[in-house]
Amino acid sequence: MTRRGGLAPIAWLAVLLYALFLVYPLCRSLFLSFTDRNPLKADSTFVGLSNYLDMLDDPRLLATLRFTLLVVVAVTVVANVFGLAFALLLNRNTANYRVMRTLIFIPQVLSGVIVAFIWRSILTQNGLLNAALAQVDARPVAWLGSTDLATVSICAVVSWMTIAFATVVYSAALRTVPPELYEAARVDGAGALERFRAVTLPMIAPGMTINVVLCLITTFKLYDVIAVLTGGGPANTTQSTAYYLLEVAFTQNLFGYSSAIAMLLLALTAGIAYTVTFLLRKREARL
Amino acid sequence: MPRTRRSVLLSAISTAALLAVAGCTPGESSNGGGTTLTFLTFETPALTAKFWDDSITDATKQLDGVTVKKIVAPTSDRNAYAKQLQASGQFPDVLASINPKDFLDAGLLQPFDQAWLDANFLQPNGNAINGKTYIPPTNSQILPMVFYNKDLFAKHNLTVPTTWAQFADVAAKLKAAGVTPIQLAGAEPWSASMPLVGLVSADVLGKNPNWIKDRYAGKVKFTDPDVVAAVTKQRNLVKAGAFGDGALGVNYADANKQFLDGKSGMYLMGSWFIGQITAAQAKSFGGFLLPTDDGKQIVPFNVGGTTSVNAKSANAAKAAEFAKAWSLSPNNLKTLIETDGAFPMLKTVKLEDFGATVTPVFTDCYKYVQENNTKVSSIGWVNNDDALPPGVADLFYALSQQLFTNDDVKAQLAALDTAWDKAAKK
Repeated sequence: MTRRGGLAPIAWLAVLLYALFLVYPLCRSLFLSFTDRNPLKADSTFVGLSNYLDMLDDPRLLATLRFTLLVVVAVTVVANVFGLAFALLLNRNTANYRVMRTLIFIPQVLSGVIVAFIWRSILTQNGLLNAALAQVDARPVAWLGSTDLATVSICAVVSWMTIAFATVVYSAALRTVPPELYEAARVDGAGALERFRAVTLPMIAPGMTINVVLCLITTFKLYDVIAVLTGGGPANTTQSTAYYLLEVAFTQNLFGYSSAIAMLLLALTAGIAYTVTFLLRKREARL
Repeated sequence: MPRTRRSVLLSAISTAALLAVAGCTPGESSNGGGTTLTFLTFETPALTAKFWDDSITDATKQLDGVTVKKIVAPTSDRNAYAKQLQASGQFPDVLASINPKDFLDAGLLQPFDQAWLDANFLQPNGNAINGKTYIPPTNSQILPMVFYNKDLFAKHNLTVPTTWAQFADVAAKLKAAGVTPIQLAGAEPWSASMPLVGLVSADVLGKNPNWIKDRYAGKVKFTDPDVVAAVTKQRNLVKAGAFGDGALGVNYADANKQFLDGKSGMYLMGSWFIGQITAAQAKSFGGFLLPTDDGKQIVPFNVGGTTSVNAKSANAAKAAEFAKAWSLSPNNLKTLIETDGAFPMLKTVKLEDFGATVTPVFTDCYKYVQENNTKVSSIGWVNNDDALPPGVADLFYALSQQLFTNDDVKAQLAALDTAWDKAAKK
């Protein structure tokens, strides 16, 4: 029998670490957003809402928000569509399929920096992809050097990583669907598409909620892949808000302003994630 | 001791240990009676890990009890990394090739003594900011030079252009011949900045060498017609396809390779690129200055150097000793001459005294340094009174990339004016 409170110290340690590494930085960042803090200076002064008002007159911030939203939407849609498709394809319980499910999860296990380095070696002007194109006498393509293609490349690489996670979540969700439901649908004369619509989709709805919300949150704070793959270029067109925030802090020395941007990003992410969760939960209840 | 108490004690000890580990800084420390200094470095194709390790070994030979711990910036942007280290209380004791102006308001850098500078350097005040020097003026650079492929020029009957019109004509002829006229390392802002740096230095500072000081005084602006005209030249080159497809996706290493492989006719890059041209390749390459409208030669010049000293270091004196030893080490400078194309600026040691093996490209370009000609600050690169306000150099570099996607030159320069005014005020 376990003594009551036996694990309390560990729980308190967890709370302490949570407060130390999450709550304190958050509160500190909120505080800094009301100051003109410069990382190179010891003192700072209270500037009220000035940093927040400055955001209204910052076209670069607006551009990064547009880019971030574009990537968030594209990655969420692509990762969920392909993640579900792969999960359906791999939904067999044999050794081969178990190995394939493990393989498909590898991109998620790798760090974003490593993934970005791998893809950079493929996509740069002298990369593997253009070398392959050269073999068939095709002209090299500026995968990372043209503004449109660089955006597509970022979306593709982040989707590649996220699909792995989505596939695993959908696979787990699919395992919870009772086979009798499919059997009953089959007896009722439902075809494959109808069984998917009437049985699979409603049953995996909670998995979809988890996938969509986590995908939104992780993509909103995207930094590592961009830093390695494009460095925010070409011509700043692939700067996410998280990337811009760091540039403002450490290139322009505006800690106060960058903290205000961080607060905006937090509010946006939380607001959108909460709204989407609310809507998807309502959908789950309907189904 | 009751179990619960023991558990609480255990977690308190683990927490304290964790905090102690988190609180450790890589700053100076005692080393069995000696001193350990931290040295922020960065790596490039020329300045490799081995170079830094060897240079540290060489500089510490004559310093008793000093060991140096190298901190390598994760990218070539050591300036931003230095700020991150400062923000987390880990500002190194010595820093390689940062922009001192960014750190001066905070009083983070220690000036070198004038007598030492006067005794050792050809231009002792070449890096002076308000009369004080924070980077020893050990060497100099021209940036950008226009490197060109002699074989391609000969093949297409081209001669070295001496006016801007001739330069544009050479670019057009190379393009018509199916050769990328101008190689650009466009993926990173610093390397993408070369055409812009060259044009503004030659066309604007060439006519008014005090332009940057005048900009600080508010007498001139980036939106003035002469600056707009200079910057528009780059936009026109972009529109004419002079930089080739996908120029903004080519990083510095790839750009070097493409140019040296003969895939492009010209390459605007700092004179450090000379170090990438091997003796075997040297006969195929040469360098000239970016031409002006009237053909007057303007040398965009930068007095370089490496080591800055943390004024707040607990071992600032030892750090200064190390910085001085590093800067005067003939072995370090020899390596920099050979691999980084550095033009030496030591008073007591001539080029031939270093015993460095250099190519004809080096000696040809070095003449521009030695000759009595018009030298102006290489805008965005110098570390003296003409250095741009903190953060503005990065925006200036990025402008060169933006000119690939945005036709409104004046609006972009207006944004730069706004950023300058904001940064200068702060």
